[in-house]
Amino acid sequence: MPDLNTDFLRGTLDLMILKTLSWAPSHGYGIARWIEQCTDDVLQVEEGSLYPALYRLEEKGYVTSEWGITDQNRRAKFYRLTTAGKKHLRAQHDYWARFAGAVVRVLETSPQSA
Amino acid sequence: MPANDPQQAPAPNARHAFTWRRYLRFWGARPDADVDDELQFHIDMRTRDFMARGMTEADARAEAMRRLGNLANARASSLVIARRRERREGRTMMIDAFVHDLRFAFRTLGRRKAWTAVAVLTLAMGIGANTAVFSVVDALLLHPIPYPHADRVVFVMEQPSQANNTGVHVTISPAPQTVKSWRASARSFEDIEPYSATGRTLEFPGGSPALVRVASVLPSFSRFAEQRAIYGREFSAADVDAGGHVVLLAEDTWRRRFGADSAVLGKPLLLDGQSYTVIGVMSAGLTLPRTYGAQRVDFWAPLDLNEKRFGANVVARLRPGVDFGAAARELDSIDARSGIWGKSKPAFTNKLVKPAELVDFRDSLLLLSGAVALVLLIACANVAHLVLAAAAARQRELAIRASLGAGTARLFRQMLTESLVLALGGCAVGILAGWAGLHAVVALRPEDLRELGSIGMSGETLAFTAALCVLTAVVFGAIGVVQAARHSTHDALKAGATSASQGRRQHRLRATLVVSEMALSTVLLVGAALLIRTVVNLQRQNPGFEPANLYTLEMDLPPVDSAAKIAGRRAMLADVVRRVRGVNGVRNVTLADGAPPYRSFTIGALEIEGEAPPPPGTSALIGTATVESNYFSTLGMRFVQGGTFVDTLAPGDVIVNEGFARKHWPAGTAVGRRLRVGFPGGPPADWMRIVGVVRDAAAGMAGDPSEPMLYERSVDHIGSQILVRAREGFDPTAALRAIGQQAAPHKSPPDVVALTDVIKNSIAGPRFTMFLLALFTAIAVVLAAIGLYGVLAYSVAQRTREIGIRVALGASRRRIARSIVSDGVRLAVIGVVIGGVVAVWATKLVASMLHGVERTDPTSFLLGALVLLATAVIACIVPVRRAVTVDPSIAMRSE
Repeated sequence: MPDLNTDFLRGTLDLMILKTLSWAPSHGYGIARWIEQCTDDVLQVEEGSLYPALYRLEEKGYVTSEWGITDQNRRAKFYRLTTAGKKHLRAQHDYWARFAGAVVRVLETSPQSA
Repeated sequence: MPANDPQQAPAPNARHAFTWRRYLRFWGARPDADVDDELQFHIDMRTRDFMARGMTEADARAEAMRRLGNLANARASSLVIARRRERREGRTMMIDAFVHDLRFAFRTLGRRKAWTAVAVLTLAMGIGANTAVFSVVDALLLHPIPYPHADRVVFVMEQPSQANNTGVHVTISPAPQTVKSWRASARSFEDIEPYSATGRTLEFPGGSPALVRVASVLPSFSRFAEQRAIYGREFSAADVDAGGHVVLLAEDTWRRRFGADSAVLGKPLLLDGQSYTVIGVMSAGLTLPRTYGAQRVDFWAPLDLNEKRFGANVVARLRPGVDFGAAARELDSIDARSGIWGKSKPAFTNKLVKPAELVDFRDSLLLLSGAVALVLLIACANVAHLVLAAAAARQRELAIRASLGAGTARLFRQMLTESLVLALGGCAVGILAGWAGLHAVVALRPEDLRELGSIGMSGETLAFTAALCVLTAVVFGAIGVVQAARHSTHDALKAGATSASQGRRQHRLRATLVVSEMALSTVLLVGAALLIRTVVNLQRQNPGFEPANLYTLEMDLPPVDSAAKIAGRRAMLADVVRRVRGVNGVRNVTLADGAPPYRSFTIGALEIEGEAPPPPGTSALIGTATVESNYFSTLGMRFVQGGTFVDTLAPGDVIVNEGFARKHWPAGTAVGRRLRVGFPGGPPADWMRIVGVVRDAAAGMAGDPSEPMLYERSVDHIGSQILVRAREGFDPTAALRAIGQQAAPHKSPPDVVALTDVIKNSIAGPRFTMFLLALFTAIAVVLAAIGLYGVLAYSVAQRTREIGIRVALGASRRRIARSIVSDGVRLAVIGVVIGGVVAVWATKLVASMLHGVERTDPTSFLLGALVLLATAVIACIVPVRRAVTVDPSIAMRSE
């Protein structure tokens, strides 16, 4: 499992959080579960690092948070994507897509076929 | 997007949940609890999930914790971010609220333009006066010295070791060799710097001759002041040894007179006919002490401590922690060791004086500071009236806002913002007024207060003004809020808002304010009256001679340190006197070494024949003047007994002043008595016989007429002052100046002054103080009158209905008028009585400035009271007129 604590991967975590929130507001646990499921448990978020990441995003103004009640009638803190967050997500999304594509190309291209 | 179990998808009903925020925020954010709750929720949810997959609760919890990783770490870094954000948001919210308040304040004030203008102008008067006076205090008293470590900088002065009972403050500049020995061995000081400044005539190729100020200092002076030459080099000891014919230009001189020419180095120029070489340009930062005998400096020349003939002021910097007394005693002991006093007791002791103590204007400044503080208080009281009136008018508004949920704190902040805006407006206008006032003061200053000349507004002054502004704002804001808070919301919302009891309470507060204003004004009025009487006394004072049409011609004469030079000077003066006599309109000319109202002194022991001789070693200041026999007729001094010297060559005749004669021979005649002046360590002096007694010649402000003034006859006719009596209607000034200039062409231009001007200048200081105090008093009285007017007008407006009823019931207009006036006068009288009592104590401040009038002078107190009562009556006029024109039929319909 990749270590999501390095600086390089921190950006990845942010991006995944923003993407998750782009579907609907959610609490931290919901975000963690969503990422697990999306990646078929390949990418297990180290859940401790999720919260500082959320607070950082909130500080930057990409998400806002409010206390609310879950379906199970429990009090939880919900995060929601802001307009600035949406914009940031779009920009980062394009960047990561191209970056990942480039990496994949390098990994899958052999010298013969070049 | 991968579709998944809806249970795990982001909560669908979050929208509804967001409404919670409002209530949670209400208690303020608590980042710690938030973070903990959030993490707890996560752990609980995870545990539940694992338990749903069949784990035991303990295992599930352990697994949840493991998945979370380093909990403490996550918690800590989340908290840091959350707290930081919380702080920032708090700030933003506060700023938002403030901007809102500010906008609201501007709107409110804009709706009451006249009210705002009056309040701002009133404040501006108070703040302006304080700003102007504080600028002067700041420059003269707080920063009197332009050198580093100013707190350790002192002036060193010598004063007679025996009593000085002349009533004149006497200090003596130390002799060069004394300064030299101090510099060599005094350990209490880091630096001892003598300096002197003189006017000299500058001549240089390509420029017309001009009178310039030349300061002479030692090479170490610029280091003492931590300033450097900006161009060329500074003095060195070698320059002094080589005769010191080098100068540094002051930066301003270099720019103005030499066009900042870089080729000026090495150029020759003439000062009083002697040639000097320019070696550099001194930074404009180097100045002489402003407080002690210094003006602007155009040239810096080296000072030679080996030269005998100079009187230098001495400024010094103490080592840290050295006590004034100890340092002075060290200088005394150096003097004693140096042997300059021989075997006799030293005639002088040394004294260290703080620069601020030397400011002539010091007492006046303290007095004026007090006066402007009172003016500001009165201005504040007036604005408080305005705020109260406005608060009464706004009761409904405030009550409505309160009932709509605005908290007391919120309202308080709103009121405070409003008064802050008001105070800032007053402050801005006040700074302008203060700036203008300061310039007016500097422009109007009398000549002998020349240290006022270089004063501007400093950062400290602006900070001081800003502090005043905030203080006043808080005071008004508080008054407004207290007043608003007193009225219950319920009362205010009822129709016919002001209930009787509220009206009475407010009236009492306003009356108290007016009474304080009246009292403060009375104090100022009494002070002003005392000073006015002082100045009148000084102006009326009989100087003992006739100053009208009397002129002195003072020339820069060569030193007389040899018989040949004495002869040369005598010949030159004889020539000048001969030519002055030839000037059209000149009646009489005489030579003297001093002219009233100034006095010259010798130091010695006065012994009167037939009285006990003074104890050995006595030395005191004795007023003496060496005069020609026609001195008294030229000056118009009348003899009480005897007459002037008979022109024989026999020395030993002396003429004394009336006060002295009356003191020693109250009944008999003084003529024929003998006295002598012994000098410390000298041989017994010859007796001198009194041949005449003349009227006391006044010595300006101070001076006890019974102190001896001895006129001795000039035998060598080299007196430095040429006194000229002109006929009525002739002004010989130009002619005298031309004669002096011709007699000494390369010297400083001769000084010709009319004695009437000298006398006028000698009381210019007190007159200036009086003028300013009178001005501030006038402002105070006008403000107090406005305050009284405001209260009466307000009460008339409130009582319109009552007055209408009274008129309808048959009360005469006269009766109504009387009741209003008696209201006003009653307040004024209470104020006058309180003010009078305070003044009895407060006049201590002016005691040292009075002349010929006691500080409890009943006339001044009476005058102050009368002026105030008259003003109060005037303030009643408009309200009375308004009251008597009340139309009962309209009045009773209103409300």
